[in-house]
Amino acid sequence: MPMDNDSSHRYCVYGIAIASDSPLTLPQYSHDTLGRVECLQAPAPLFQKAIESIVFDSRSDSWYRHAVTRDGSTYVAWDAIGEFVVAADGRRIVCRRDEGCCAESFQVYLLGQALSFALVQQRFEPLHATVVVVNDEAVAFLGGNAFGKSTLAACFLEAGYRLLTDDLLNLQESGDGIRAYPGPPRIKLFPRVASCFLHAIANGVEMNPDTKKLILPIDAHRSCSRPVPLKAIYSLAAPHDASRRRDVTIETLSPRQAFMALVSAAFNRTLTGRQRLERQFGMMGRVTDLVPVKKLVYPRTLDRVEEVRDAVLDDLVRDVRIARSSPIAALAMLG
Amino acid sequence: MHVSFSDCVRVAPDVLFRLVSDEAVLVNLNTEMYLGLNPVGARMWSVLSEATSIQAAYEQLLKEYEVEPSELRRDLEEFVAQLHAHQLIETRPAA
Repeated sequence: MPMDNDSSHRYCVYGIAIASDSPLTLPQYSHDTLGRVECLQAPAPLFQKAIESIVFDSRSDSWYRHAVTRDGSTYVAWDAIGEFVVAADGRRIVCRRDEGCCAESFQVYLLGQALSFALVQQRFEPLHATVVVVNDEAVAFLGGNAFGKSTLAACFLEAGYRLLTDDLLNLQESGDGIRAYPGPPRIKLFPRVASCFLHAIANGVEMNPDTKKLILPIDAHRSCSRPVPLKAIYSLAAPHDASRRRDVTIETLSPRQAFMALVSAAFNRTLTGRQRLERQFGMMGRVTDLVPVKKLVYPRTLDRVEEVRDAVLDDLVRDVRIARSSPIAALAMLG
Repeated sequence: MHVSFSDCVRVAPDVLFRLVSDEAVLVNLNTEMYLGLNPVGARMWSVLSEATSIQAAYEQLLKEYEVEPSELRRDLEEFVAQLHAHQLIETRPAA
């Protein structure tokens, strides 16, 4: 899709350099990036031409539409939000915002769902996770929509911890560990949760016409804008599994269970195929080898979230103790 | 599926296997199905994929585990049948 462009706005998100022809609410460009994506705006006729006589994915409906175009690009659109064409090599996203959709809401879809196609095409394996920073290390909460990832993260923000990313986590193997990359400095919360933990909802913008969820900007001192080592992953129980629970429980998953939890949390499941599966198999295996993955189950009431946060913080300290004790045990065995 | 212990097992093309600690995970790239194996399943897979026949794998596993021979035979038959059903292995007469 050749276009004249002027990508004069440069940013960095998920470790990816973003060159855009319109301003975005993102941190400024950094040279230390893993890849590059160009975001360009285009008028409606360009999209009409791209999807002429193509077949939409069976999961498409009146709200969401997805198709692969003749040149291998991905077309994806959300009603009342906008439409996007992601190039087959993932290096360019052409987009159009619907009239009536605010810039903040459009950017959530551009920098979340649409960008995830670009990331996967560039051979990254993003996870559906919200991540906070504890003692300069990333703590990730895995789970699908409505699993409570952002609510738990908001509770960490209230206690002074910083947000790394909300919803999409991009990972990269580095040295003998895994690094987690920062997402846009914003969080999506229902007004009651935002009011409870962030004590401010006035600057929130509704995410889309069908939800009351707000997009809330997170200021610089409450967000982390640099990659940090991934310390631990907590896989949140599905709401229906957690609804009858009375206690907060944290259980370390076996490597096989951990691997399956990671695969289940793949951010973009629309793109499949052999190459992706091979890559996913390798990446999730390496994360399983290097990072503890735990199952976190807790009652889904707002008044218990602080207890959940404290349980996670205690669990992180416990892990450090175990790690520090092992060399001594080895020396004793040698002696 | 009838499992003949004189057959040998071959990992199906397009199947990836990875040991994760003492457990294992597999994916069939054609069916796009993931499968996890507990430590016993992981060991059964490793022995089956290297043995000259299912009978040889059975004899090897009998040496390694404290188990009634009839129980191991039944578990191994069931395991091979499941792997076959998920298109993770192929069986053929041993050379």
